[in-house]
Amino acid sequence: MSAGRILVVDDEPQIRRVMRTSLVTRGYEAAEARSGEEALEKTRAGRYDLVLLDINMPGMGGLEACRAIRSGSDVAIIMLTVRNAEEDKVEALDAGADDYVTKPFGTPELLARIRAALRRAPVPSDAGPQRIHLEETEIDFPSRRVSVRGRQTRLTPKEFDLLRFLVTHPNKTIPHRELLQAVWGPEYGEELEYLRVFINQLRKKIEPNPAKPKYLLTDPWVGYRFALPKQD
Amino acid sequence: MFAIQLSTWLWTPASRAGVVASRLVAVIATTAAITLLGTRITHINATTIGFAYLVGVLVVATRWGFAEALLSSFLAVLCFNFFFLPPVGTFNIVHPQNWVALFAFLATSVIASQLSARAKQRTQEALDRQKEMERLYALSRAILLADASDSPAKRIADRIREIFDFPALALYDCTTGQIHRSGPVDLPDIDDTLRRVSEQEKRISDSARNLTVIPIHLSGRPIGSLAISGVTLSDPALQALSNLVAVTLEKVRGQEAANRAEAARQSQELKSTLLDALAHEFKTPLTAIKAATTELLSSPVAGAEEQRELITIVDEEADRLGRLVTEAIQMARIEAGKIQLKTGLYSVEALISPALQQMNSMTEGRTVSVNISGDLPLIAADQELMRMALHQLLDNALKYSPPGSPIAVTAEKAQLHVIISVSDQGPGIRAQERSRIFEKFYRSPGTPQNVTGAGMGLAIALEIARAHGGNIQVENNPAGGAKFSIAIPVGEEEGTT
Repeated sequence: MSAGRILVVDDEPQIRRVMRTSLVTRGYEAAEARSGEEALEKTRAGRYDLVLLDINMPGMGGLEACRAIRSGSDVAIIMLTVRNAEEDKVEALDAGADDYVTKPFGTPELLARIRAALRRAPVPSDAGPQRIHLEETEIDFPSRRVSVRGRQTRLTPKEFDLLRFLVTHPNKTIPHRELLQAVWGPEYGEELEYLRVFINQLRKKIEPNPAKPKYLLTDPWVGYRFALPKQD
Repeated sequence: MFAIQLSTWLWTPASRAGVVASRLVAVIATTAAITLLGTRITHINATTIGFAYLVGVLVVATRWGFAEALLSSFLAVLCFNFFFLPPVGTFNIVHPQNWVALFAFLATSVIASQLSARAKQRTQEALDRQKEMERLYALSRAILLADASDSPAKRIADRIREIFDFPALALYDCTTGQIHRSGPVDLPDIDDTLRRVSEQEKRISDSARNLTVIPIHLSGRPIGSLAISGVTLSDPALQALSNLVAVTLEKVRGQEAANRAEAARQSQELKSTLLDALAHEFKTPLTAIKAATTELLSSPVAGAEEQRELITIVDEEADRLGRLVTEAIQMARIEAGKIQLKTGLYSVEALISPALQQMNSMTEGRTVSVNISGDLPLIAADQELMRMALHQLLDNALKYSPPGSPIAVTAEKAQLHVIISVSDQGPGIRAQERSRIFEKFYRSPGTPQNVTGAGMGLAIALEIARAHGGNIQVENNPAGGAKFSIAIPVGEEEGTT
């Protein structure tokens, strides 16, 4: 019984070697891919719990591979980036990654992020409503399905956890730090760009007009709030 | 008509005396021709012949000028009196009516000569102005459209002299403080005058030396001054010339400033590209080392096998970092144009295999076929630099061809060179890019963003090949893919081994 199946995608064989060694020692099952294309094939063919995806690869780069994997799967994705610039992180998260690690990284940090990504938010699945009807949006929590005006989308696990946490505390502003720690894990707290990106993605999926949100509201400098209309 | 033709024919010799003599002859000939016409050929009355003389005088006046016309007038009066006014054959005049006729004729012809000579002078002036304008236009084209050169002020000075045909000219450029001379005749002791004119912005004319010095300024700012000997230009033309030089020099200054800014910007951009690429190159082994060491430090339960694996990786990647540092230093040396060859005699195998070994951890199961023909001589080469050059070609082949596709290395002899080629099965190199890819920092516009590198690799390889007296060429294989060939000359002494 493995702790999880992880796909390591990096064009640098030595980096794959280190990660494979560490992961196998921790009881994970590790598979490797040398390029974005190969990663895409493998995630389509097999079932993985998490993908470690390098951003700088020849051919199809990490960002494009991330978007492609995300379009067909809700597997957890951690991006490995070289540059530590804000725009690169946002770009990675926008492409559908759940988290990122900047190279060079310490293995303990990477392992902690892997655990965080694999951990589901500590909200009991039967807590809160199973199904929410908003004006034109319908959210079904057990199947993680959202339909807006009849258009069906699925939430990724992190999006699902985030929305679920907000919905179980309706009409109350949740501070950034609390939200990050509840959804990502106790090591997090400062990564405001995560919230910005994920809230944006959620708005695109559940708001009738994402530019003028009605449900997922921002309280500037404080946090986010889910405005739940009176349920019948 | 005869007289006009004669004078045109005689006009060609340039000497001043010749011109005077030929005009004298022409004037006499004209008068003589009319006299002959009146006395020998047809008999016409005195009034008519008077008009004929008048026409002759007018023709002379429009053709040459007032002096010739005056001479012609007096000759005509004498001939008119002698041949036509009674008593014919003498200069005596009996009838007072003929006195009146003679003086009326003289007055008419003198006034008419003066008028037509003045008209001719006006025409000549207009022609001169037109010629000046044409020259100024030619000059403005020549200096405004000319390509940038090392010394634009010198070029302007030369162009002005050529186009206006001045014997000597000196242009003072007060921004650089330089004086540019042009022309076969020297202008001695002019430097101080030029500076003074530029400062005071006041023209100086020295008629004794036939020299004019004009200031050049633009919107009240002094730019320099121009000394010209043998000026034949009108004042407006001189002013226009001064303005043209001012505008051109200003334009050159602006262009130079813009070029400097552009060069600075480009060099900044290159630096940041290079730094990005270097950061990536160095961060890859660092990442592996950091990941392995942090794992070793944090994991007390790690098994002996895992520990060994991680330590091996650290060891290998430390070597790679070492190579990267050496390469970066070599790169900087090559950049600075300082390549020092440590030449030894090597077999082609000995040159190729270090590069192949270095690539081993990166080829990832790709087939790298090596085909070295049997009869190759030893090559005098720097083994380390050749490893670098071949590494760049192999690295290039790996980067720009699909993962898993094979790479072929061949070596063969062609006349006085040994040619080592690296072929890949990538998209190949488009014809118009084949020379550009060897430029420093050039990366094909089609390069995927995530292919790492500073665009230095091929430039380095080429520099190394050239330092060996060789070259690198690229072509596309008939079957597809690029083929880079590095040719190294076979030394004479080792060609016989």
